[in-house]
Amino acid sequence: MQRMFMRRVGLALLLMLAATALTFWLVTAAPGNVAALIAERAAGAGADGEMIAKIADDLGLNDPLPLRYARWLGDALTGDFGISLRTGKPMAEEFGERIPMTLALLTGGGVLALVLSLAMGIAGAASNGGGIDRVLHGMALVGASTPNFFVAAMLVIVFSVWLGWVPTFGVSGLTSWLLPWITIALFPASVLARVVRVNLQDTMSRPFATTGFAKGLTRGAVLLREALPNIAIPYMTTFGAQFTLMIIGAIVVERVFGLNGVGAFFIEAIRFRDFIGMQATLTLFVVFFVSINLIVDLLAMLADPRLRRPRKA
Amino acid sequence: MKNWPWAILAPAFIFVLIGIFSPWLMTHDPAAQDYAALLEGPGWAHWLGTDYLGRDMFSRIIGGARTSLVAMVFVLVAALAIGVVIGSFAGYVGGKTELVLISVIDIALALPSLVIALALMGVFSGANFDWMSDYWKMIVALTMAWWANYARMSRAVVVAELQQPYIEAARVMGASHIWIFTRHILPHVLGLVVVYASADAGALVLAIATLSFLGLGVAPPTPEWGQMLVDGMSYIEENAALVIIPGLALTAVVVSFNLLGEAFALQKVPRAVRGRLLSRKKAARAAEEVARKVVEA
Repeated sequence: MQRMFMRRVGLALLLMLAATALTFWLVTAAPGNVAALIAERAAGAGADGEMIAKIADDLGLNDPLPLRYARWLGDALTGDFGISLRTGKPMAEEFGERIPMTLALLTGGGVLALVLSLAMGIAGAASNGGGIDRVLHGMALVGASTPNFFVAAMLVIVFSVWLGWVPTFGVSGLTSWLLPWITIALFPASVLARVVRVNLQDTMSRPFATTGFAKGLTRGAVLLREALPNIAIPYMTTFGAQFTLMIIGAIVVERVFGLNGVGAFFIEAIRFRDFIGMQATLTLFVVFFVSINLIVDLLAMLADPRLRRPRKA
Repeated sequence: MKNWPWAILAPAFIFVLIGIFSPWLMTHDPAAQDYAALLEGPGWAHWLGTDYLGRDMFSRIIGGARTSLVAMVFVLVAALAIGVVIGSFAGYVGGKTELVLISVIDIALALPSLVIALALMGVFSGANFDWMSDYWKMIVALTMAWWANYARMSRAVVVAELQQPYIEAARVMGASHIWIFTRHILPHVLGLVVVYASADAGALVLAIATLSFLGLGVAPPTPEWGQMLVDGMSYIEENAALVIIPGLALTAVVVSFNLLGEAFALQKVPRAVRGRLLSRKKAARAAEEVARKVVEA
């Protein structure tokens, strides 16, 4: 058990290392030429070849790639992700300002997705093929197919422009958080609702559910007490996957609503060829993505003894 | 095929038809600006109105269908081909080669595909890549972000299929590796992967639009739905239709492709995979699940 745990953690760390090395290689291989960009910042258009060469030399940009990666990794592990080429501020500072915003988005969206999906999935299973079930199925399908930027745009049009209930831009108070949260939660909620629905239906045809009915339990009681705990593992796995995909939702939402989060920073870094900012943000994403997957795997192992057995390849 | 929801698949077919015949369907040049008719509502001259540069919305929607369709087909075919080749090779050869390739696939799956595509668009913005147009940069970036899922699935199928007795029989009969692979294994791989691709088409149309929405996809004069939507965002108070029309077009196409994938899945995919074609990761896992069961049996 403990060995399996350690193995998973070790693999996750290895994956983080490999993924950051790959992004480092890609991003530094990008021929934006960091030295030229820095020289341009410092001296405007007057940057000449000599100056660029000196900066490249000072920063060790002429060293072999593995050495540069090792140096970058050493700095990163102590929390030093370099200085953003776009804003001129240390990345650690940028992150300090922006991570809370993105985390608030992800947490609110995640909670909303959790509540919505369970409600929709259970209601669908309770109605089992009836009108409510079909309507919810349709809603889940549309929810899983509507681009999140279109959802955001429609929410703005309806609630800001037509009804004037919430401001179109920025955040002030709880109501202005609602539109971003709904936008970000709609897609995962739809996918998860179907997971709940499909798995509940599957579980309801198992022998123990029949036993429940035979004991005289109502359909609702069987559904909630016998069937629901059994969908925990597929639900958790999908929730983890969807939660990590919410990064994309955050990128879009931060742009539409003008929020200053990590996602917005990432897009700006790409547009301005801020390769240091790009590498730092990608690293953050990798760490987030891999850790969430790891947590989900470990939780699933805790919940289901069958997953603890080492399996054959 | 009898129970297929044909009616609901209509948007996908219409989308493909419009994409193919778009030059004959457009009433105006989608890039032509008419300063006498800015932000007009629907009317006889411009069926769906005009945008902030006086460009005809109807023609831009039609042109956008082609932009998305062409990019989607290129990316899907390329990603599928790369994925099947790498995945099958890994599964068939086995040993250390397989281990290395699986590691590469896992690394490629360590971030959401769209984030990888975004990062690649950033990388491609460097001067060394000026020889590629923005359109091709987007296609290459998406392909590089998209192949890993196909590779993972292909490998799972190959590994499962290799355990079947008939493969051994073929080998005993003296069949070559090439023969066994192309005649016996490849059809199984393609069967599953193509089904998955049909469900994936919707996700890809979405990704293309999202890239353009974020300003990192197709460059301005080319009509594209995501870009039309973001352009329209600045004018929602004057003419909300500029946002709603491309958004609805996009949603209809994605819903339709997702239904197509679901219909395929219910018809063809083994029971274990059925109903789980909900997320890409899940689908890949399900395929491995099938593979594992076959191995154990």
